[in-house]
Amino acid sequence: MKSFGIEFVPMELFWKTTYYTMQAEKLGYDSVWITDHFNNRNVYVSLAFIANYTDRIKMGPGVTNPYLIHPVYTAQSVASLNEVAPGRVICGIGAGDRTTLEMLGRKMESPLRAMRESVELIRAQIAREKSGYEGRMFSTSAGARFNFKTKGEVPIYIGAQGPKMLGLAGEIGDGALINASHPRDIERAVSLIEAGANKAGRSMEDVDVAAYTSFSVADDRKSAKKSVVPVVAYIVAGSPPQILERHEIPVESADEIRKNLAERNWGEAFGAVNSDMIDAFSICGDPDQCVEQIDDLFRTGITHFITGSPLGPSKKKSINLFGNEVMPHFKES
Amino acid sequence: MNYNEFVKQVPRTMRGPLSENLIDIILEGDESLAIPPSLAKTILHYWQRDQLDSEAGLTNLLKATFEADPERTLKVIDTFDLKELRMALQPA
Repeated sequence: MKSFGIEFVPMELFWKTTYYTMQAEKLGYDSVWITDHFNNRNVYVSLAFIANYTDRIKMGPGVTNPYLIHPVYTAQSVASLNEVAPGRVICGIGAGDRTTLEMLGRKMESPLRAMRESVELIRAQIAREKSGYEGRMFSTSAGARFNFKTKGEVPIYIGAQGPKMLGLAGEIGDGALINASHPRDIERAVSLIEAGANKAGRSMEDVDVAAYTSFSVADDRKSAKKSVVPVVAYIVAGSPPQILERHEIPVESADEIRKNLAERNWGEAFGAVNSDMIDAFSICGDPDQCVEQIDDLFRTGITHFITGSPLGPSKKKSINLFGNEVMPHFKES
Repeated sequence: MNYNEFVKQVPRTMRGPLSENLIDIILEGDESLAIPPSLAKTILHYWQRDQLDSEAGLTNLLKATFEADPERTLKVIDTFDLKELRMALQPA
């Protein structure tokens, strides 16, 4: 089955993010993911608001991280949300990004270990296990349980980009959130997830594999492109050399964009983003072009496609375009 | 201002497109901070029930858009050629 999700960065008022999510739900989207950054509105306040006005769409953080939010608090948050929206809560968790962590004086230590223990601890906590949890990075004492009853499980999706994290997602995740948009990157990621799943004696049917893309749709490609350029600039600037080389993007070009972004020279930074970069790091175009690109991604074996920021020049219009002109191509096929 | 009385003057066929244009004002405008949270929640209530183009839905939308951006609201009303509504809403 093919699922479709949408991501929102809660930079806007709570009611606006909720309005857009309701619009997405009415059009048949399956999931909504709210990013978790200290400098935007709070993810769980956003989700609680959304939960009150929706009935079907699944929802969760996309993604939180264990360095800033202790896994026990993540477990508490998603379990509480699951009371408001029973059976609709999903939890995306990743290692976070180094720049944000460093801003708050935190280091990304042993990300694989941190993620494995976080997933184990969140599950144990939601299951209200009595024995406590003993990990190398996280531990709880016996009896450190919630004082409230929890009902049901919350599927945990692991946000991943590197080979080992993708393998871990296949090994222990209920889902994987692949942080990429190009079929070549996604294909490689799917095979790593599959290897991880096989290693753990699981099958790919046990893992909901999602492409968490930078996405922009508009009536015409030019407008869609214009809207996606700033997001692509940041992706290029933050991509490791091996990923840039895979897409034949000169490392020097990325260095130049990074420098200009750091100096807030937006015009020069965004002006240096070319079509190759847009093709490598986003799904972008008019509805027909998006259908074609998404079709390529589904052929790699993903089961879930997520439209991430910026969505398009106008959120409302882009959600309508995707829901009315892109999604039906897959939902009805 | 009794927006409900004004909304009654809007022909039914125009209510859907008008509500779409009005919601754009508050979604796109930074001025929407001026909308009280209770009014924003009322709008979501009508949106949830697909009733933003009902009399009550439009009444609340007009309240909100006038709070957020009176100038753009009047421009939208002009687009729909709602002369009586325009006259009634025209600032003194």
